[in-house]
Amino acid sequence: MPSRPFPLALALLALALPAASQTTAPPPAFMQREKGHCIACHQLPQGAGPATKADLGPRLTGARMRELGRARLRDLIQDPTVANPNTVMPPFGRHRILDTAEIDRLVQYLHALP
Amino acid sequence: MRFPECIAGIALAALLSLPAHAAGPEDVRAGIAVALKERLPELAPQDYRLGAAALDAELRRALEENAGAGAATVEAGKALWTRKFKNGRTLSGCFPNGGRRVAAAYPQFDPRLKRVITLEMAVNQCLKSHGEALYDHADPKTMGAVTAYLRSLSDGQKVAVRVPTAAEERFEQGRRLYTSRLGQRNYACASCHVQGAGKHFEDTPLSPAIGQATHWPVIRKGEPVTLQERFRECLELMGAAPFPAGSEELNNLEYFLTFLSNGLPMAANAWRPER
Repeated sequence: MPSRPFPLALALLALALPAASQTTAPPPAFMQREKGHCIACHQLPQGAGPATKADLGPRLTGARMRELGRARLRDLIQDPTVANPNTVMPPFGRHRILDTAEIDRLVQYLHALP
Repeated sequence: MRFPECIAGIALAALLSLPAHAAGPEDVRAGIAVALKERLPELAPQDYRLGAAALDAELRRALEENAGAGAATVEAGKALWTRKFKNGRTLSGCFPNGGRRVAAAYPQFDPRLKRVITLEMAVNQCLKSHGEALYDHADPKTMGAVTAYLRSLSDGQKVAVRVPTAAEERFEQGRRLYTSRLGQRNYACASCHVQGAGKHFEDTPLSPAIGQATHWPVIRKGEPVTLQERFRECLELMGAAPFPAGSEELNNLEYFLTFLSNGLPMAANAWRPER
């Protein structure tokens, strides 16, 4: 096959640009009342999801999520009472509100927040 | 959680876990008042009865605009209150002053039955003693309407629930229910209405525990909703199986919660937005 680096590079760039210029919409578990319903308590960075007045929990920022890291985020969603017995946040994993796949999806979303 | 909030949370948790014999009802109420004052320093004492509307100007405006939302319900309730039973008596005849200025003393402890009696139970006790069909607590057309009228006869009266020594165990059971983590979501009532009072859940501020019992039934979409029906809605949202209206659990819970509002003026039939 003849080498065509220039068109290939353009194609790769075209694929990368949309991902860099938009944030992923919150997964269903973030929004749905019967699931995580995270939107009820936590505000998202501007543009990353619906704007709310929710402040029962801290604001979610990409910097803070990446500072915590994926493993810690997973633990916090699984059972936040381990770190803070007085927390109001439900133990989504321990009480089987969310399954492993849903928690993983949330962690992926949170870790990629702006 | 910030450090000062953490300390306040721990102190609150300690206070709310005290048994009744260590901290009497008045001490428990005072402790909650201090915790709420810390969280809501700007909230005037007379505004606690407004609930979330005290903390949201738009909601407060909507409350004022819809102040007459309960009028039709109150009229329907008055008709039931004065309706003649088969034996010629009426609900009105079961209560002192025809029901005027009685609601502030409920719930009350019945020393003979050794249990808490709510106003709704007193209505049903009257119906039962005259051989009439009882009202379903959840029925807005009967119990809702009657309590909308009966409670309106105490508008402006200050809540005055008494907890004699013999009733302290019931009060303590109510306090324990209010402060215990329940259900799949692991919330206690206090998680939102003491610890989280004033914070926003979705876009609505969480009402403080003090003041919550002053304005029932509330009028939602033109229909009355009693306090115990609201408890049941909350319990479902918490992922807990709701205790039945009129159960010991909800009666004790209402006893505890209403005592917290002692001294606040009552105003029945407050409008509330759709949920």
